[in-house]
Amino acid sequence: MLVLARGAGVLERLLRASILLSLPIAISVVLVSVFTRAGTTVLFTIGPFDATLEGVEFAAQTLVRLFAISTSIGLFILTTEPRAFVFDLERRGVSPRIAFIAVATIEAVPTLVERAAIIGESQRARGLDTEGGVRARLRGLLPLVGPVIITSLTDVEERSLALESRAFSRPGTRYLLWAMPDRSWERGLRWLLLAALVAAALARITGRL
Amino acid sequence: MTELRFEGVSFVYPDGTRALEGVDLEIPHGQRVAIVGQNGSGKSTLVRHLDGLLRPTEGRVLHDGADIAGRRVAALAATVGIAFQNPDRQIFAGKVRDEVAFGPRILGRDAAQVAAAVTSALEAVGLADDVEANPYDLGYSRRKLLAFASVLAMDTPVLVLDEPTTGQDARGIARVQAVVDDVSGSGRTVIAISHDMRFVAESFERVVVMGVGRVILDGPPTEVFAEAAWPVLGSTYLEPTHAARVGARLGLGSTPTEADLVESLASGTIVRPTG
Amino acid sequence: MLKLDGVSYRYAGYATLVLHDIHLTLADGEIVGLVGANESGKSTLCLVACGLAPGSIRGELSGGGLSIDGEPMAGKPLHEFSTRVGIGFQNPATQLSGVTGSVFEEVALGPMNLGLRQRETVERTNEALARLGIEGLAEREPRRLSGGQSQLVVIASLLAMRPSHLVLDEPTAQLDPEGTRLVGEALRGLAASGTAMLIAEHKTDLLDDLCSRVIALDAGRIVADGPAATVLADPKLVGLGVDPPARVRLARALAERGLDPAMAGA
Repeated sequence: MLVLARGAGVLERLLRASILLSLPIAISVVLVSVFTRAGTTVLFTIGPFDATLEGVEFAAQTLVRLFAISTSIGLFILTTEPRAFVFDLERRGVSPRIAFIAVATIEAVPTLVERAAIIGESQRARGLDTEGGVRARLRGLLPLVGPVIITSLTDVEERSLALESRAFSRPGTRYLLWAMPDRSWERGLRWLLLAALVAAALARITGRL
Repeated sequence: MTELRFEGVSFVYPDGTRALEGVDLEIPHGQRVAIVGQNGSGKSTLVRHLDGLLRPTEGRVLHDGADIAGRRVAALAATVGIAFQNPDRQIFAGKVRDEVAFGPRILGRDAAQVAAAVTSALEAVGLADDVEANPYDLGYSRRKLLAFASVLAMDTPVLVLDEPTTGQDARGIARVQAVVDDVSGSGRTVIAISHDMRFVAESFERVVVMGVGRVILDGPPTEVFAEAAWPVLGSTYLEPTHAARVGARLGLGSTPTEADLVESLASGTIVRPTG
Repeated sequence: MLKLDGVSYRYAGYATLVLHDIHLTLADGEIVGLVGANESGKSTLCLVACGLAPGSIRGELSGGGLSIDGEPMAGKPLHEFSTRVGIGFQNPATQLSGVTGSVFEEVALGPMNLGLRQRETVERTNEALARLGIEGLAEREPRRLSGGQSQLVVIASLLAMRPSHLVLDEPTAQLDPEGTRLVGEALRGLAASGTAMLIAEHKTDLLDDLCSRVIALDAGRIVADGPAATVLADPKLVGLGVDPPARVRLARALAERGLDPAMAGA
């Protein structure tokens, strides 16, 4: 996984994101496992809690799994262009409307962030203090959130009217100009991975039996 | 009394865009200044430095000779009120009255002062009858006037208007002109960013033309719209007013407004650019 | 030909009529301007003329209805309107789909939605880009364009549907002078090529140049409908909250001073 990430040039971002995202869960996993896992070899004691070797082992195992999951999801997100992904789905049969909504949602995030910033500016220019304490910030929430919601709704309204003029509500399939190349070795690799997954799952199950 | 000054101000956005390059500008108290230039010339970036929304990458911004670097936006808002272009980016209250009251309330005025400020601001923009209305029941032009009123109510010594006439119909523009006259008449500084050259020529005594992050022309309308300045205007994709063009064609010198042109034709005199 | 036959309209949930008894005909290839104060019903009229009212926003349309090329359009699905009449609004940002990576893809979106085959989609896209002279923008990212350029892309996207009529609701309202110039020029070029257009605008100088006919709206009623030069010079426009073109204002100001309007060479 990490090798692939290095290959795609996203290793650093991936590591940073995975660690950041898994951190909260990781901390609670470590705390719970280390101190409450039934075990015989006690390493040290804090109050009524015994930290066992078995606990540490279990925690370590769980952390590795957690890391594996978050890096694989992260790798996918960082290396796939959402547009290409969604339109490819459409080519394979997903409804065009769903495809559009998926892409539009993803692409809407930067606009939303930008809009929130502009709204923040307008309100700060009227004296809203966004640099103060918690209570001040809470009070300032409505003037910041209100316009974001309203303008986003107006935006959606305007946008959907404009789209009607381009036949977005026409039922039926479309002949897309985009095509994601699907080379035979890529397809082969996908089957191989699927087979490996099935094999690993079987091994787990039969190993346990 | 608030004199505004930019000393060697440069600004670079986080993405590397250079928006201002070493701008030196002084705006004495009580002046009516219009800032013009194509989109991207640095106009909006410049005015956002006045209340600290943006801080210079180089140089200083001064209010009455004091650097504003350490002061918070919330504090500077009491001196410089900015009404932004899109009213919907600001309106959040359910009633016109509450929207206009927001600014003065935040500035710490008492209930009586707030009420007085709201009444006078709404009257100034012609929305006195809509005080109990929901802002979104007003059309776009009136919402723009509402946003304008909310900043007016803060009674700041300096008032900055970002594209006040864009999207307005003729009545709305006349209203904006009347308010600019009013505010300026009471001795406050009015700064406006605008694309409407006629509005600029008619309502402002000084025009600052920006191009590519710099001030490329700075003077009264008679100078800025005079034929000699047209190439400079053209470099930032601006055109002189219709009246200026006709006046130049007829050899009448510089006639930035229709009133100037008519006056010149009537009296047979030629208006020379001043300064 | 697009025809509104004594049409009145009321928004959903509102009791008052916003449009009253509108009789409007847009002949093939005709360029008609629409003026009126900000709440006079211009935008509503634009929405009715392209079928979005009541088609998309509901509301009640009464009277003789909308017909295009003789065919009554009441009850037709919205996508059938898009190939007969396209509509452009003032904010370019909300009209770009936000899901495409290049101007070419953006303009191609409409034809794709029509279920056309790739070859025809590409043909129509190239044609639309050429009509507006923006072939050079084909590979650019839509969100990085200037306001004026964005509006041109929007209009190209509409033209790719090959409508015979185009309704534009204040296309230059949010543009800077350069953007306004770009769009004005593009519209002039289009005017010559046969698409009928209904253009609502405050900038009467633009309409003066472009339109053969102008309609004035006041509180939802048509109060003037005639040759552009005549309507734009009509003194009652000022009372309606509409600013006449600069040459008209100047001529009037000179006349008021007892001077010969022709002095300004208007």
